[in-house]
Amino acid sequence: MNQPLIDLVNISKSFDGDIVLDDLNLSVQENTFVTLLGPSGCGKTTTLRIIGGFERPDKGSVIFSGNDITKLPPNKRQLNTVFQKYALFPHMNIAENIAFGLKIKGKSKSYIQDKIKYALKLVNLDGFENRSIDSLSGGQQQRIAIARAIVNEPKLLLLDEPLGALDLKLRQDMQYELIRLKNELGITFIYVTHDQEEALTMSDTIVVMNQGYIQQMGSPEQIYNEPENAFVADFIGESNIVNGIMVRDELVEIFGAKFPCVDKGFGQNVPVDVVIRPEDIDLLQPGEGSLDGIVTHLIFKGVHYEMEVTTPDGFEWLVHSTDMFPVGQKVSIHVDPFDIQIMNKPESEDEEALGVNE
Amino acid sequence: MKTKKIKKWLEDFYLVIILLFLYAPIFTMMVLSFNNSKSRTQWGGFTVKWYGQMFESSSIMDALYYTLIIAFLSALIASIIGTVAAIGINRMKKLPRTITIGLNNIPMLNSEIVTGISLMLVFIAFGISLGFKTILLAHITFNIPYVVLNVMPKLKQTDYSAYEAAQDLGATPLQAFFKVVFPDIFPGILSGFLMAFTMSLDDFIITHFTRGAGINTLSTLIYSEVRRGIQPSMYALSTVIFITVLVLLLITNFAPENQTGIPASKAEAAMKKRRRNNNIRKGILALAAFTIVASVSFATYKKYASSHSNELYVYNWGEYIDPEVIELFEEETGIHVTYDMFETNEEMYPVIEAGAVQYDVVCPSDYMIQKMAENGLLAEINFDNIPNISNIDETFMEQSRSFDPQNRYSVPYTWGTVGILYNTKIIEERGLPVPTRWSDLWNPAYAGEILMQDSVRDAFMVALKSLGYSMNTVDETELTQARDLLIQQKPLVQAYVIDQVRDKMIGGEAAIGVIYSGEMLFIQEEVKNLGLDYSLEYVIPEEGTNLWLDSWVIPSNARNKENAEKWINFLCRPDIAKMNFDYITYSTPNKAAKALLDEDIQNNKAIFPDTDKLVNCEVFQYLGDEADTLYNELWKEVKSN
Repeated sequence: MNQPLIDLVNISKSFDGDIVLDDLNLSVQENTFVTLLGPSGCGKTTTLRIIGGFERPDKGSVIFSGNDITKLPPNKRQLNTVFQKYALFPHMNIAENIAFGLKIKGKSKSYIQDKIKYALKLVNLDGFENRSIDSLSGGQQQRIAIARAIVNEPKLLLLDEPLGALDLKLRQDMQYELIRLKNELGITFIYVTHDQEEALTMSDTIVVMNQGYIQQMGSPEQIYNEPENAFVADFIGESNIVNGIMVRDELVEIFGAKFPCVDKGFGQNVPVDVVIRPEDIDLLQPGEGSLDGIVTHLIFKGVHYEMEVTTPDGFEWLVHSTDMFPVGQKVSIHVDPFDIQIMNKPESEDEEALGVNE
Repeated sequence: MKTKKIKKWLEDFYLVIILLFLYAPIFTMMVLSFNNSKSRTQWGGFTVKWYGQMFESSSIMDALYYTLIIAFLSALIASIIGTVAAIGINRMKKLPRTITIGLNNIPMLNSEIVTGISLMLVFIAFGISLGFKTILLAHITFNIPYVVLNVMPKLKQTDYSAYEAAQDLGATPLQAFFKVVFPDIFPGILSGFLMAFTMSLDDFIITHFTRGAGINTLSTLIYSEVRRGIQPSMYALSTVIFITVLVLLLITNFAPENQTGIPASKAEAAMKKRRRNNNIRKGILALAAFTIVASVSFATYKKYASSHSNELYVYNWGEYIDPEVIELFEEETGIHVTYDMFETNEEMYPVIEAGAVQYDVVCPSDYMIQKMAENGLLAEINFDNIPNISNIDETFMEQSRSFDPQNRYSVPYTWGTVGILYNTKIIEERGLPVPTRWSDLWNPAYAGEILMQDSVRDAFMVALKSLGYSMNTVDETELTQARDLLIQQKPLVQAYVIDQVRDKMIGGEAAIGVIYSGEMLFIQEEVKNLGLDYSLEYVIPEEGTNLWLDSWVIPSNARNKENAEKWINFLCRPDIAKMNFDYITYSTPNKAAKALLDEDIQNNKAIFPDTDKLVNCEVFQYLGDEADTLYNELWKEVKSN
């Protein structure tokens, strides 16, 4: 395995006694697209700001290409940041904004001119040099912010919810744009977002964070399909999380009904959390599946129908299906064994927060 | 329809009334600045001589210099400190920030007089002698909140992440501030600067309390002229200031604003236009800043600071010396004179008593000299150093003894009497008797034609003298009689006034008035200049009157006593005394100087009454606090009756 580009070692940070990050460890390999994902206040932005040099960790160190940069000010770090609100300089035009970093470094005029042209082309805004900032749309401003960062040829680009202020359509366009940029430039992106869809679309690796801890780290598929705890399961996509009892290996009991599954090693008759994605539930005629219920809600969502099926114990199952069952219809729930994800129940509050971050 | 018309008419009427109230006074002043006559009521023809006088007057130009330099420096320093403070406050947490902003706002709402007095107390308590630097410090102090107030909103608008982005792109924190934050908040700093500049330019109260010897700003200078009536050159100055401000305002307002209503398809052109307009606006701001800098440097050019080992601090009434006399004195003796002015004896007294400014020579009036001597504030003059004392008429040395019993502390400078001024024409036309006595002021024939002095001692002097009592009496029975007499006179009196006696009499508004003789020469010249068909005559009533004396004294804390004595000796020289007489036209006690004057002035009984007429005259004495209270109470009864 290569030496990681950036290594966060035992990072802790608190503001006014509120612990934001607690003993966080994270390694990022070169040329990957890593997303820090979590609800607001989970510590993802603070992590990014510690890497950028805008915050000092209380404990721990930041290693960049093998060098300890914990105490280095932001202007001495070989990385650049794209800010949430773009942070363009309003009194400069676009060319001046892009040239800012290069001028500070004392690059030659012709070099700077070339770089501006190149960067504008890269973000598809050729010929915008002399425009003023306030004549641009939000998406265009964001591209300029990216151009301004990448002309400095950073090894690492930090992006702090850069698409948060854009509308849905633009956001999706920019997502593809970012992937393209990352591939063309061959640099490492660390991307912060609270939008799980964005994270799943763009990332090579997703780091799910909550309450200052890393909950799970893995590829988008791993995160989605095999959430390691209830928080991840709940946060990534929609899911049904129910109490179950692991009767024995490969068999779980939910509300008295037996469901075959593929998980092993939990022991016998152990209480567990069971995660089932709504699209993994098949609705059959009453009696044909493992658990019977009645459809109590129906909404047409475009690609599928969203339904709620209430079982006799009172639990409302969320079901996504292309087949429609009207409200009041009796149905039976069936789940394929490999679509059932079994997780240990957290033993305490602390455990819940810590998750499975071993 | 009709109501609409009425509404429109009302709106216009309202507007006109507002404009009238706002601008009529300024317009009046501007007109008067071109009035050839000094009078405030008579038009004496068009002239620009007051403008010439303004530019020639070193006191006005000095005051202008100090006003501008203090405004500029205090605004500049306050802008720097205020901006730094605003940045600090902006980065605070919510609670401390709210508290600090509150603390910042209090000085702006605080009464100026409180700020002024407390600043003065601080300076005195810490032994900082009052002068240029104390005014500057005071102005910086009261200017900082205005800068903070102007910069804060700009800072709030500024995206803090832009500052971080600059650092992220390789700028040091300082580079990031100056390249990114500063241009953003600069309009706020500039408007803070301009506001501070204006506040400083405008300030009177705080300057008044914190200024020291030899330094005046325009506001304190104008105020110090109140005693002799404001000089028309001040109208000229005010007019110039008003026009300058007006022009600056017009330029800023007519600067093209961002145009709206431009078709969207021409967005590019609109943007170019906006950029150009931005440039124009920048240019105008730069122009405003340049004007300020240019005027300050112009003023600085006129003035140069130099240190003198040989100093003299003079404290005198406003307009009470020929400026050339000061220059001559400096030339002849090599002593550098710092000249400062007061408006009333009562204002001068605490300044000397506090010792905040150590004046070497002061020119108070009779009763005040007595009070100062009694309180040990005066030094004995060494008359060996003042050989020219022999030029002073013995009569006045004798008169001085009523407040300075052994002639130890004071040397007479000017004197005068209080008498009756009458209009020859009105007297003749109505067949009224020519007044010769104070008791004539009770003659019902003059009903509605009498102007009385609106000040307690002067009014009681008239009544006491007509009763044959001393005007320095503290006897309650005598004073009660005087009070009753004054009440009895009230129906006959047209008005109780002070300064306006002069103008009202020149304007022919009343037949007789009680007046100080000091301005007789001016009054007579004015009557001649205006070509009036009547003359105004002055008479010293037979019962005797108030003879007042303003004399030079040396405070006991004077640092340059010998220079002060040189100064007094110099002023006693006949040619110098004559120069001063020609300038201030108050009677001189200097007999040698009087001999140098034209025959007709020497014989002008209004200015130099026969000495035998002065026999019954008295000089005001300091009567003590108890008597003061009694006088004031009785006067109040007169006025309210």
